[in-house]
Amino acid sequence: MNDDLMIDVRGLHHTYTHTGVAEPVLHGIDLQVRRGEFLVVMGPSGCGKTTLLNILGLVLSPTRAAALRLAGREMLGLGDGARTRVRREMIGFVFQRFNLLPTISVRKNVALPLRLRGLAADGQVDRLVDRVGLGGCAHKKPGQLSMGQQQRAAIARAVIGEPALLLADEPTGNLDSANAAGVLELLSDLHRRLGQTVVMITHNEQLAVTADRVLRMCDGRFVD
Amino acid sequence: MLVLAWANLTHHKLRTLLSALAVGIGIMLMLVSRGLAGGSLAEVNERMQSVDAELVVLPAQDNIIFTSGAPFRASHERHLRRVSDERGPLAAAVIPVFFGQVQMAGQQQRLFGVDPEQMELFLGPRRVTAGKLFDRARVFVEQVESGALPPVSGGPLSGSPQAAGAYAEYLADGLELVIDERLRRVGAYGLGDEVQIMGQVFRIVGVVETGVAGRVFAPLQTLREIVVAGEPTASMYFIKLRPDLEPAAAADVFQRQFGADVRVELKSEYGQLLRASFASVNLYMTASSSVALAACFLFILLTVYTMVIEHTRELGILKALGVSRLGLVRLAVVEAVLISAGGVAIGIALAFGARELIVLVKPLLTVDLTAKHFLAAVLIGVLGGALSALYPGYRAARLDPAQALSHE
Repeated sequence: MNDDLMIDVRGLHHTYTHTGVAEPVLHGIDLQVRRGEFLVVMGPSGCGKTTLLNILGLVLSPTRAAALRLAGREMLGLGDGARTRVRREMIGFVFQRFNLLPTISVRKNVALPLRLRGLAADGQVDRLVDRVGLGGCAHKKPGQLSMGQQQRAAIARAVIGEPALLLADEPTGNLDSANAAGVLELLSDLHRRLGQTVVMITHNEQLAVTADRVLRMCDGRFVD
Repeated sequence: MLVLAWANLTHHKLRTLLSALAVGIGIMLMLVSRGLAGGSLAEVNERMQSVDAELVVLPAQDNIIFTSGAPFRASHERHLRRVSDERGPLAAAVIPVFFGQVQMAGQQQRLFGVDPEQMELFLGPRRVTAGKLFDRARVFVEQVESGALPPVSGGPLSGSPQAAGAYAEYLADGLELVIDERLRRVGAYGLGDEVQIMGQVFRIVGVVETGVAGRVFAPLQTLREIVVAGEPTASMYFIKLRPDLEPAAAADVFQRQFGADVRVELKSEYGQLLRASFASVNLYMTASSSVALAACFLFILLTVYTMVIEHTRELGILKALGVSRLGLVRLAVVEAVLISAGGVAIGIALAFGARELIVLVKPLLTVDLTAKHFLAAVLIGVLGGALSALYPGYRAARLDPAQALSHE
């Protein structure tokens, strides 16, 4: 076991079954990501990127795998409660569709991970909201923000708890180029400051330049 | 969780309000039905307790509320007076009551036929606020009892023209009513007003303070003449005991003397007997308000379940952020309890409104809204709300976060 690895995945397979029809999407993936590394995974739609990210984020259980270790701890076989705790303590998510809770304010959205851990949220949240450029919108509901602002709020929510692993699924997929550049810059900046391990999925070649490493996927496998 | 639950509810204000209103209606039904039954029974009991007596003698087969007719004969009254120990008769006074019915102030009232000589025992410390007590001179009674009146077929109050003509001089002294202040106020009655009872025209001659056993009193002998052609019968008796006697022991002595045909009860236990008489009515009201409440909580279940379905994606987000299954159940429960709490508040407000409405329409009814009933409403509301949320909460907890996140 290598203590320097944040992610250590071996022999990962996943198959979706719809109405009795099996649809394999991941075929024996092996993936190792160092602590603090910024990894970009690229590939065409439907190649299995989001499935891989969901499995790494423990929101989806793989059909079969030899190992799935996060920070050196084996995740295979963990119960729902233990997986929930790992998500809460260790992992931050940034989604393509932002996935902010629409009924509460930006500030409360950002504070949510801290609240779920039972931590006080006041100064830290305000500072982070300011840092992502939403200081004037903290009281607004997500629906009152532009898409770029919503994604910045989602990033703030993902990093507020300083998770060891940040998973970003097409974070710029719904943004225009100016907003996309801003969001990417924000992610890079936070990565530099906080030193988190980042796995980002995209099919935007321009975004890959910020990464420490780029992996390409096709038909459920990494390709050269 | 409270913040999220509150946010979810305020995001759907109308639906939340309708759900709370549904619970409120159920709670109101429960409070008003309990308050109406409890209030009316408590008021009747309080009035009965005002009689200066310790025992009540009733026909064994009668419901205590619906005692009717005149099953006790003259022999019963004589027997009651004769029951004695070594120090003499147990009864200091035997107080016969002959019940009738009269329509006054828009509803049926129980008419208490009492001996004018014993009216003081019914009044106690209460004052005559207007007019007088009836026929204190016993003009009518003595004329009837002396046989001095010329014989007319059917008796003096038979309603025949001959009787009316023959007894006109004396009838006015028998056909008198004394009412209580509440009935006078509600019916806007005044002294001298006439009331038709069983074919005879009675006149209101006196008003007494509220709290006496009956709302309407008439002379005992008059009712006996009208209903049973003057036979000395009674519907029930109060017994005022000799001061040295212990009521329970004395009641046992009377009961042994009369056997199973007669119920001798302590007046102090009249309230319990009333509640027992109304047990089946209470059961019916409890059952009907429970059904109404169950329907209301089904409404909450549907509301919370709809929220779970609508918020599938948000629930997926919460799971991804690390909210446990129990946390999602708790979220559903908190939402439902908040709706229920609002419903209880609405229900209590509606119950006060309904009480005002009932008193407006039926001023002689008493709706007793007590702290005990409010506490029960809060407990039922909170528990019912929490139970209603368990299934939607379970569904939320079972959501697959990956599927929920891809939910449109």
